Amino acid sequence: MTTQIVESVLAEAEKQDAKKVTEVHLTIGKLTFLGIEQVRFAYRILVEDTIMKGSKLIIKEKSGVIECPSCGYKGTLETEDNPMYHVPTPILKCPECGEAAKIVEGKECTIERIRMVK
Amino acid sequence: MTNLKEVVKAEEETFDIEPGMDILKVNKKLALKNRELLRKHKVKAIDVMGSIGAGKTSLIEKLVQALKKKYRIAVFKGDLTTTIDAERIGCHGVEVVAINTGRECHLDANLVARAVEKIRLEDIDLLFIENVGNLICPAEFPLGTEKRVVVVSVTEGPYMVVKHPFSFMDADVAVINKKDLAKVMKVDTKKLEMEVKEIKPDVKVVVTNALKGEGVEELVDALGL
Repeated sequence: MTTQIVESVLAEAEKQDAKKVTEVHLTIGKLTFLGIEQVRFAYRILVEDTIMKGSKLIIKEKSGVIECPSCGYKGTLETEDNPMYHVPTPILKCPECGEAAKIVEGKECTIERIRMVK
Repeated sequence: MTNLKEVVKAEEETFDIEPGMDILKVNKKLALKNRELLRKHKVKAIDVMGSIGAGKTSLIEKLVQALKKKYRIAVFKGDLTTTIDAERIGCHGVEVVAINTGRECHLDANLVARAVEKIRLEDIDLLFIENVGNLICPAEFPLGTEKRVVVVSVTEGPYMVVKHPFSFMDADVAVINKKDLAKVMKVDTKKLEMEVKEIKPDVKVVVTNALKGEGVEELVDALGL
């Protein structure tokens, strides 16, 4: 995934004839499987020997949002902290009516902004 | 000697662009394309995900046996390098395309689109896609199938549902396999079922013993086949 991010940024920079990329702003949904720590780690390695070397990676997290097709409820996805396993479990049950809700936000990994030097 | 005192350089220009590009959307878009193509040919496709050794191939073998008179079936079998499973399924007289990912831990919509090119969609009604054995990454990459099945087995221990909640969020059917070993493994399949339903209330849960074919009929029902 991080390879794809870096390749996409490099492609955009090439289109703009940029000499250097100085900042990359990402939004990562909390319902993706991307670990921010790992993305940062891979990013540092992948940008070596590219015009992105030394660039700042700014990551904004986006919460999950669910919508209930039965009652129309829309809100942030609840997670249940299970003290027994120490894991937050996402709950796709509508908190209003208990029916199955759909995920509408939180599954994205978007390159929002790239700052570069020409 | 020259009189040159200063050099005026064109200033470096710093600027921002806002691509707003969703990296995961590339796969999602391709998945939609796959879905449209499959729909056009009236092919029902089912993505089967789950850990290595959960029993995905055994279940598909049993599903093929149960359904091959009713449907013309093809199977895509994702694996890193081998075609062992593909050959196993091929023994049942259905068309199998092996997708070797090399190193990738999941199938993606692009690999499936390439596999689709290898078969004649006119000649099939039902397509099973067995994902690479992995309970995590495949869930991030929809392939364009109508339904997604997650297979877990009691030998993976009592906590695999709560440990991998994200894998069930996009599932339509969850299979709890190897029910014959539940007692030895001290795993309560009812509890696992409740945990799956807690994450996604509309998921259908089927408990099976794939080797013996137990629960396969219920699975066929749950898949609407």
